[in-house]
Amino acid sequence: VILRVLFLLTASLGVIAALGTVLARNLVHAALFLVGFFFVVACQFVLLDAEFLAAIQVLIYIGAVAILILFGIMLTRNVQGDETTSGPAIGRLPGAFAAVAILAVLVTGIVKSTSPGGRPSWSSQVVRPAIAAGSDDPRSRSIRTGMAPVVGVELLTRYVVAFEVAGLLLTAAVVGAIALAHASAAATPGPGSGEGSASSSSPDGEAEPAGAEALVS
Amino acid sequence: VKITSMATTAPGPGPVAGASDAIPWLTWFLWLAVGFFAIFPFIVAYMVWAERKVAGRFQDRIGPNRVGPFGLLQPIADALKLITKESIVPDAADRVVHLLAPVLMMISAFLVLAVIPFGFGSLDRANRLTGFLPADLPSGLLFLVAVSSLSPLGIFLAGWSSRNKFALLGGMRGVAQLVSYEIPQVLSAVPILLWAGSLSLVRIVDQQVDSGLWNVFIPPGFLAFGILLIASLAEVNRTPFDLPEAESEIIAGFHTEYSAMRFGLFFLAEYLNMFGVACLATTLFLGGGSLPFGSFPKSLLLSGGSVLLVNLIAIGIFLAKVAFFVFLMFWVRATLPRLRVDQLMNFAWKALVPLSLANVLIAAVWFEMALRPGGPGVLWAWLATAVMVVLTVYLAIKGLNLGLKTVPGARRRLILPEPTTAIAAPTATTTV
Repeated sequence: VILRVLFLLTASLGVIAALGTVLARNLVHAALFLVGFFFVVACQFVLLDAEFLAAIQVLIYIGAVAILILFGIMLTRNVQGDETTSGPAIGRLPGAFAAVAILAVLVTGIVKSTSPGGRPSWSSQVVRPAIAAGSDDPRSRSIRTGMAPVVGVELLTRYVVAFEVAGLLLTAAVVGAIALAHASAAATPGPGSGEGSASSSSPDGEAEPAGAEALVS
Repeated sequence: VKITSMATTAPGPGPVAGASDAIPWLTWFLWLAVGFFAIFPFIVAYMVWAERKVAGRFQDRIGPNRVGPFGLLQPIADALKLITKESIVPDAADRVVHLLAPVLMMISAFLVLAVIPFGFGSLDRANRLTGFLPADLPSGLLFLVAVSSLSPLGIFLAGWSSRNKFALLGGMRGVAQLVSYEIPQVLSAVPILLWAGSLSLVRIVDQQVDSGLWNVFIPPGFLAFGILLIASLAEVNRTPFDLPEAESEIIAGFHTEYSAMRFGLFFLAEYLNMFGVACLATTLFLGGGSLPFGSFPKSLLLSGGSVLLVNLIAIGIFLAKVAFFVFLMFWVRATLPRLRVDQLMNFAWKALVPLSLANVLIAAVWFEMALRPGGPGVLWAWLATAVMVVLTVYLAIKGLNLGLKTVPGARRRLILPEPTTAIAAPTATTTV
């Protein structure tokens, strides 16, 4: 009962955070709501007994992605970020349509899906859908005592192709970012002032978080 | 004060105790109430006192000595002052975010301490230590890294919400620095994971105690230790890396616009972070609360000694090691001038990251030679990896200049010909 209450609590917080992300007019506020949402997702992982995934979620999404978004806002827009944004009204209708369509696809996908074992999906179960709770076979017991080795083995055996492709993609992104930063640094040497040395680090700053993300993942 | 209590209650789960599992809730509650409310702030207060005393000695003066014997009541007086001062939020500031930023920093600093094994605990059925700590997570190290990655967010929000260009500059510098140095910091812990085969910090300590060989005595472990120390210094914004709050350049950096206890929270978070990285280094590389070349307090536990006594000894040894690290940080601060921004970035990306990547490979060699059964043994492994480590560091210094030299050409024009932009504030000789 406590777990269900906790789930409903965190889930509703998550919905609020998601709405805030979409509705906030100030970009930094939107990014903050997004951070809150990521955190709620991490909480959900904890409720599912997957603290390894929760830590990864916080590390990658809050520690890297959110910081990267904030960096992007800082480097590309009015630095103080006061300005509020609103898209052109004509873009709203297609946007809403696409959002509803994606929602429909996701909902039907989740409801109709079956697990590899042929059992119905979690959404149709009444009990708490924890990966590790309940069953007592050696696999779920090893997940309970330490999830990291299980995830590692899965990544390097069953999902190795996806893993390698993701690695390749991130490497390409890093190389591209460095190439872009290099070109712009060579083309426009900054003004020779004290302020210049601070702002000149911005091309590097753009390349670095990308590298950070690649190394972290 | 209200914000402090908010931040300190955040780390643990709230008091929603179930009747059946009352014991873990009780220990968590005790950790929260005693550890996080009383002991850790107390430690921070006296770290500040110690730093002022130590810095005083380094500069040939006495340091605080008026309030109480040896100035021992000074931190309490300072805390009272911070609490009673008026807390000003700038008119232009983004109020909510402005108030949120120091709380985020505090949460990050406190959560790090939740997985540090301060003592040994008792033995489980396989004669392994259970650890004396708030929560022994199976992926404790990852948790630690994850929550410490929240602090750049706090710095950024503090700098951004103040609507002050110096705060913003400090925030940008802080985020760039913390994101950069986080990578060598994490990579330097990878060898330890490889050797211990676990992410749990208790397990890592246990492995070192059982093998009798602290990780710092292994050549790749030593290199990793050095990298971790440098990167941690940068992670907690201590002096050679204090660019985010460089007072001679950008007033006080990201916390320029903070006053009273909100400033105090940043202060508290900074010193808690120092304490946290000292604990981390002790846990990962110095065998936690054990003596070198043996398994001293644990051997007492194995031969049926009192759990309480063993834990007191272990905590004592642990705190002595932590105190050494903290002193090291004071020492470095009193000695070294500040880096320039370009040096800072080059050092992280061109020296520390490649070094720590190479070190992971050397650590794998150690694993194959020393830890795998049937390998050539510890002595050969030690010699081989020592040669590799020395060679790697030599190559890094020769080939990469440790990233510290200015590359002629493009960068040259950006930097004025002054010798340094940093002023070695604490070392300025005070001869009259």
